[in-house]
Amino acid sequence: MGFAVTDLSRIRNFCIIAHIDHGKSTLADRLLELTHAVADRDMREQYLDKMDLERERGITIKAQAVRLNHETGGVAYELNLIDTPGHVDFTYEVSRSLAACEGAVLLVDAAQGIEAQTLANYHLARDAGLVIVPVLNKIDLPQAAPEATARELAELVGCDPSEVLAVSGKTGEGVTELLETLITKVPPPEGSPSDPLRALIFDSSFDAYRGVIAYVRVKDGRLPTRAKLHSMVTGLNWEAEEAGIFAPEATPIPALTAGEVGYLVTGLKDVHQVKVGDTITIPGRDRAHDPLPGYREPKPMVWSGLFPAEGGDYGDLRDALDKLKLSDSALVFDPEVSQALGFGFRCGFLGLLHMDIVKERLEREFDLELIATAPNVEFHVIRGDETIVVHNPNEMPQAGTYDHVEEPLVLATIITPSDFLGAVLELCQSRRGEMADMKYLSTTRVEVHYQLPLAEIIFDFFDHLKSRSRGYASLDYEPWGYETSNLVRVDVLLHGEPVDAFSSVVHRDKAYAYGRQMTERLRELIPRQLFDVAIQASIGAKIIARETVKAKRKDVLAKCYGGDITRKRKLLEQQKRGKARMRRVGKVDVPQDAFIAALRVDHKAEAKR
Amino acid sequence: MSSGVYVHVPFCLTRCGYCDFNAYAGLDHLAPRYVRALLAEASIAAPAWDGEEVVSVFFGGGTPTTLEVADLKSVLVRLRDRFDVTPDAEVTVEANPDTVDRAKLAALLDAGFHRLSMGAQSFDPAVLASLERVHGPDSVRRAMAAARSAGYANVSLDLIYGAEGETLESWEGTLAEAIGLGPEHVSAYALTVEPSTPLGRRIASGVAPAPDPDLQADMFMLACERLADAGYAHYEVSNWAKPGYECGHNLGYWERRPYLGLGAGAHSYREDRRWWNVRPPEEYLSQVEAGRLPVGGEERLEPSDAYLEEVFLRLRILEGIPSSWVEPQTAEPFLESGLLRETDGALVPTERGMLLLNELVLALAG
Repeated sequence: MGFAVTDLSRIRNFCIIAHIDHGKSTLADRLLELTHAVADRDMREQYLDKMDLERERGITIKAQAVRLNHETGGVAYELNLIDTPGHVDFTYEVSRSLAACEGAVLLVDAAQGIEAQTLANYHLARDAGLVIVPVLNKIDLPQAAPEATARELAELVGCDPSEVLAVSGKTGEGVTELLETLITKVPPPEGSPSDPLRALIFDSSFDAYRGVIAYVRVKDGRLPTRAKLHSMVTGLNWEAEEAGIFAPEATPIPALTAGEVGYLVTGLKDVHQVKVGDTITIPGRDRAHDPLPGYREPKPMVWSGLFPAEGGDYGDLRDALDKLKLSDSALVFDPEVSQALGFGFRCGFLGLLHMDIVKERLEREFDLELIATAPNVEFHVIRGDETIVVHNPNEMPQAGTYDHVEEPLVLATIITPSDFLGAVLELCQSRRGEMADMKYLSTTRVEVHYQLPLAEIIFDFFDHLKSRSRGYASLDYEPWGYETSNLVRVDVLLHGEPVDAFSSVVHRDKAYAYGRQMTERLRELIPRQLFDVAIQASIGAKIIARETVKAKRKDVLAKCYGGDITRKRKLLEQQKRGKARMRRVGKVDVPQDAFIAALRVDHKAEAKR
Repeated sequence: MSSGVYVHVPFCLTRCGYCDFNAYAGLDHLAPRYVRALLAEASIAAPAWDGEEVVSVFFGGGTPTTLEVADLKSVLVRLRDRFDVTPDAEVTVEANPDTVDRAKLAALLDAGFHRLSMGAQSFDPAVLASLERVHGPDSVRRAMAAARSAGYANVSLDLIYGAEGETLESWEGTLAEAIGLGPEHVSAYALTVEPSTPLGRRIASGVAPAPDPDLQADMFMLACERLADAGYAHYEVSNWAKPGYECGHNLGYWERRPYLGLGAGAHSYREDRRWWNVRPPEEYLSQVEAGRLPVGGEERLEPSDAYLEEVFLRLRILEGIPSSWVEPQTAEPFLESGLLRETDGALVPTERGMLLLNELVLALAG
């Protein structure tokens, strides 16, 4: 097959670790230009971030691997840039992408310094044994502080500040030097083309026409197009319809060999058959015996009920979730029936961003209007030897029927300017946090580690962190096990009827505040009825908060003469339609909007960090 | 069937901030043309109403008394000429206290307008100011005295309650003053905010407070009490009258009898058809001057529309709806909670029920 197999020593596989707006995509654009991967006329901004959703949010959801060709000292090198997701929801995906590389560019905005997320991913990369190339970006900006940031980076990586490269993704300054440095510092991949095939699936995507696309790094052996393949985790045998590389558009090649990065058109129709972290080998005698290490099942961390705003759209929502699941291996869902909201699904997400993305895609791509219940974490209710896993506050048994409840914790990393340290610590304390440690990154910036209940983070923690630090503090967190906690279920009752959609599991110390907040909010949202409506919050049989919506006394059109009759009839018809759209809880009519507004948690800022 | 004719005069001295009627200040120069157009429209419309007995005529606005009495009279004469207006037909003219004096009122009475409906609105100067009415309480007292001395024996006063700054006490004072003047008929309206009015915009932008519905409910109950004590019968949500002085013309609307509207923006109804004239006076004039009926739009009532109208109009007046129209279990909660009462096989709203009439209509018209 006269195709020149690239000598392993000419290959460099690397990724870029950067905070969301530190210029990764712009730097990638410059790398594409400099290596002539994209013709000038085809160049567009943020070339690699293809999906609309990604462009708007300014983040990269799906990793891509782009091949760049660069010649230096008369030798042609093949550089594979593996783009990684940068959000805490996708830590596992990040770790798999890192496992496909030997080096990582640690890219930091010279004006902003290191952020918590960058730090977390840096630690992942270092633990994965990657060579770190520290780089300052945006040195063209007037507010850049290259010396200070370089010292911070050098301190972190353990090098001399002079070894920190300085580039401008915008002007292209320093980008050639970066390429040269990657070639000299990042080691070529190890592995043997003659060993049995082992290829790591480090990401996947779904193409409506071609099915599941697997992004692979070949560790050992050779992976030709049309090869019969075997996935070691799923146990599935299948045949790759096509092997190829991104240059940067998908380009078929006869085979991928040890050390190389590319894609496979799997021909499979369900993304669950192509698991990120799985190892591909050849079925039969020549198969590899040991899969590559590090595989993990995606685990939902945040749960929420999704209900169609129009009850009739249930079937559409089900079809949409089924379709979305084909391209989103982390999404899980089960049917749920709510008295208040009707038929819907309890969905599990990797985190809040993932939840927002799914919701937005359902609304945008499938034209659905949704009501989402407040997100909650997974609780473990312990009763004797039995552990009851609770994904829905309504499934929480009544107090007294179990021994105790455990909730998930996270270890949060927060980086903040030292000026705001006090406010940040206060916030963490108020969220039931326990400080693990704290260290100064420089004289003006502090890194704090806190153990926090995940439930305290998924609401408005990030908004508060940002407002208390004038937007400067950054946050990252990782799962930190389960711990016993004094949690109670708070129910909300309308005119004596519990409204399942408003039930929540909260810490006992916060139950009263939650009860008050919900009853007060609902008092504003529930229209006056023909009778006084009691809005109560309760723990079991005990009422902890109460508000009343006073009975309405006046609802009549004052004047109705010859010229008014048509108009008044139309007003009445409109009022009738409005009533028909309301949901009935017991005797109480509750407008759709009241549910949406009462359940609204402003976590958008968190999702967009 | 006995029918009514309404004549619309769209001119006013000034526009009040709460008013969304088809009325204009500063168009007085159009008055002579407008009168000619009314005469012409009456002539064009009349043949279709041949055989319909007209038992009421109502000149409303706007402010009809911005026109000369001779002009108003010429229109009334034309109606009597072209329509089958019964000799004892009720003939009402609306008046603004500031646009009438004894001489003008005497002339109006002489011209055949024997029922006078006066826009008093309030006797509290602060409330009148907040409604942007140009008259003061004294003008109402003067106009009332002038009407009596001119010989008027059938006068109605219009009141509005719930304007910004009005308290229950101030409303109590207004009611007492109105009753003290001894009109035969009182209309009392809760101030209703229409989004398209200056008041509506001020409230939407937060500059002015919206009327408090609970206070308006208290004011309504107080009106019911005080007017009943003074011998006025409550015969429609916003209308009270001494025995025999109910407004026959307005009852025509509520009993779904036919009516013809003349003038800019006036509405008409006959059989299953409702139609209305073009609203802008200039457009109205040019249509009529071209010899056409100035119809701007129409609708045909489906049986379900007609039924909804029937229910909500019957509930507005104390006639109520026959009990047999609704399932007993539908009416029961309202009978129990005292919003409805059952009299002679009819479901009739109580005073509290009138305040919640929309809810009753929606429940009963299912």
